[in-house]
Amino acid sequence: MTETLTGAQILCRALLEEGVDVLFGYPGGAIMPFYHALPEFPELRHVLVRHEQAAAHAADGYARASGRAGVCVATSGPGATNLVTGLATAHMDNTPVVAITGQVARAMMGRDAFQETDIIGITQPITKHNRLVEDVEELAEAVQEAFYVAQEGRPGPVLIDIPKDVQNQKMEWTGEQSDRRRGERLEPTGRPADRPSALQDAARLIAEAQRPLIMAGHGVLLSNAYVELRALAERTGMPVITTLLGISGFPESHPLHLGMPGMHGEVHVNRAIQQADLIIGLGLRFDDRVTGNLAGFARGAKVIHVELDPSEIGKNVPVALGLVGDVRSVLCSLLPLVAPRKCDAWRAEIQSFVRPREENFRGGLSPDVILGAIDQATGGRCSIVSDVGQHQMWVAKLFRYQHPNSHITSGGLGTMGFAVPAAMGVALARPGEPVWAISGDGGFQMNMQEIATMVQEGIPVKMAVFNNGYLGMVRQWQQFFHGRRYSATPIWSPDYVRLAQAYGIAGWKVESAAELDETVRAAVAEPGPALVEFMIEQEANVFPMIPPGGSLSEPIEGEPAPPLVSA
Amino acid sequence: MTAFQAVSVLLEDRLITLNRAVGLIRRRNLPVRSLAVGPTATPGVSRLTLMIHSDMATADRAVQHLQKMIGVRAAVAFPSREGVARELALVKVRAPHERYAELLDVVQLYNAAVVDDSPEAMIVELTGSEAFVLSCIRALERFEVIEVARSGTIALGPTPNSEINHD
Repeated sequence: MTETLTGAQILCRALLEEGVDVLFGYPGGAIMPFYHALPEFPELRHVLVRHEQAAAHAADGYARASGRAGVCVATSGPGATNLVTGLATAHMDNTPVVAITGQVARAMMGRDAFQETDIIGITQPITKHNRLVEDVEELAEAVQEAFYVAQEGRPGPVLIDIPKDVQNQKMEWTGEQSDRRRGERLEPTGRPADRPSALQDAARLIAEAQRPLIMAGHGVLLSNAYVELRALAERTGMPVITTLLGISGFPESHPLHLGMPGMHGEVHVNRAIQQADLIIGLGLRFDDRVTGNLAGFARGAKVIHVELDPSEIGKNVPVALGLVGDVRSVLCSLLPLVAPRKCDAWRAEIQSFVRPREENFRGGLSPDVILGAIDQATGGRCSIVSDVGQHQMWVAKLFRYQHPNSHITSGGLGTMGFAVPAAMGVALARPGEPVWAISGDGGFQMNMQEIATMVQEGIPVKMAVFNNGYLGMVRQWQQFFHGRRYSATPIWSPDYVRLAQAYGIAGWKVESAAELDETVRAAVAEPGPALVEFMIEQEANVFPMIPPGGSLSEPIEGEPAPPLVSA
Repeated sequence: MTAFQAVSVLLEDRLITLNRAVGLIRRRNLPVRSLAVGPTATPGVSRLTLMIHSDMATADRAVQHLQKMIGVRAAVAFPSREGVARELALVKVRAPHERYAELLDVVQLYNAAVVDDSPEAMIVELTGSEAFVLSCIRALERFEVIEVARSGTIALGPTPNSEINHD
């Protein structure tokens, strides 16, 4: 049957065909035809955010939680540019996001029209792909391509820019236009095939190693390789390190779980890396925050790097063996070749590296205790979305993640303000599951306007604010490396309890460990969004710390002595 | 070993694709010596040739990044000396009347051609490897070089290329 549809209607149908159920967006001039069509498609739930950056982060959170592309929508010009930080965040962490932006009408393009920006040019380095839709005839195919590219292989964000007059343009729609082009997509060019013997080489290296380690990254979560990772660890007794984005890829109560490596990794984890003779990197980039100074990284270790993207193999760390493929399928092929073994002596050696933690927190309100209370109140069944800074490291290291993909954070870009909007996306992707957005007092104030979105849309995110009155991580660097000159890091906060009241949600302020359990339980019991402020030690530091440029063998484990003479 | 590596890219014949490919090269901070782009035997497909001064691993990584890009049909890298690499230059040069014959000798020595000759200046066309072209320009600088236009190096690799296979 043929019907005449506008570009905007075709866009909505194409989104439905891709299985989209929720969009995070903000209307404006150049995207109005789309918003005009939207009410005809009630299956597409639109969440009106308070700032387009939040739309991109929410789509990112939705994608990380569901494994399916998250969608955000913005108008041209400022609407589109406000998406940029969120797209860059998704790009660095490889999450599938599809961004749809309105553009000025084709006849106006290139003339510096009102609210015109070259968003294709602006987002080129921070998207996996982007595309200007130049005619309604190519719209349905452009949407399909966007979802395909965003989700295939190593995922990433894709932006499609649609001029206003293309959204209004009419065409005869037979319903076959989209089917016709399915299957003839632009595939990326060929990937090198692994040598058939490569898997055997890997199995041999594992069998021969005395001190082998697994380093598990985001690729474990992206490829759903939880079972296979656990099987490899248990068959060989190899200890498992999880990178910041690999956290919750392996159960933390498991005796083979070691912890997080790198700049704020525990001493025994980094020492294990430095002592290892074999490192099996699964779906990670060997980012500088993980390796420290490359010249001093794991000098005695051969590296097997399992990675979907061949350009990552050998990029930072020289490898003995690269295996190209997603972690799950490589492990599925590798496992039958791996001989059972144990690593008891090596594990005992690593245990001897473990250092007791010595920290003092005001009122006993340590991050450890706070996260323990959240764990207990939710029975561990919750998604934790963290922001960026000191609390992010505490949340990464101190919460006991038992369930796959229960830890979500902005790793590569390190985007402050991520947690609150991303948690909205997580909550919509996982209805019924408690979602905690944990932020510092700095990052929380970057996107706290989204409380209004949660209220309007009934999104029951629990927000925790770790308040130390400082931009804590920067303050810590100032303390250690800039002679305690706390330049621009003291930060004032509003009264968060009254802020919560102003938005009509429940809010609490916790100042001592004595009030902790009861308050967290009350927040969990609250049916809607809720906010809990935790007053933590003002000058607490994240230990240990590898100084910037240092190797993993040089951790700072305590506060440096203050300078004798003030500068 | 650091040397000249040719990176040869077959890409969709659209400005946005060229823009993307060159943007990637810039973002990855590659030591680019020259860029040249033009059509191929396949309609709708252009060839972008980059000469980079690096080790082979860097050139191979550039290829891997380019291969991920939508609109790129194929990309290969090879050491420049293993393939055929050529550059075209046009040099506008002037000599005083008494040195005109000397200038023509230089042109002949380099197998170059005078493609335009006016009372003010002549335009010399020369082709060869980058080193050859530079050497010739240096020789011409003994006279008065007014301006130089160089095409950037184009190159074909030693093995059969995949231009045909990828369509």
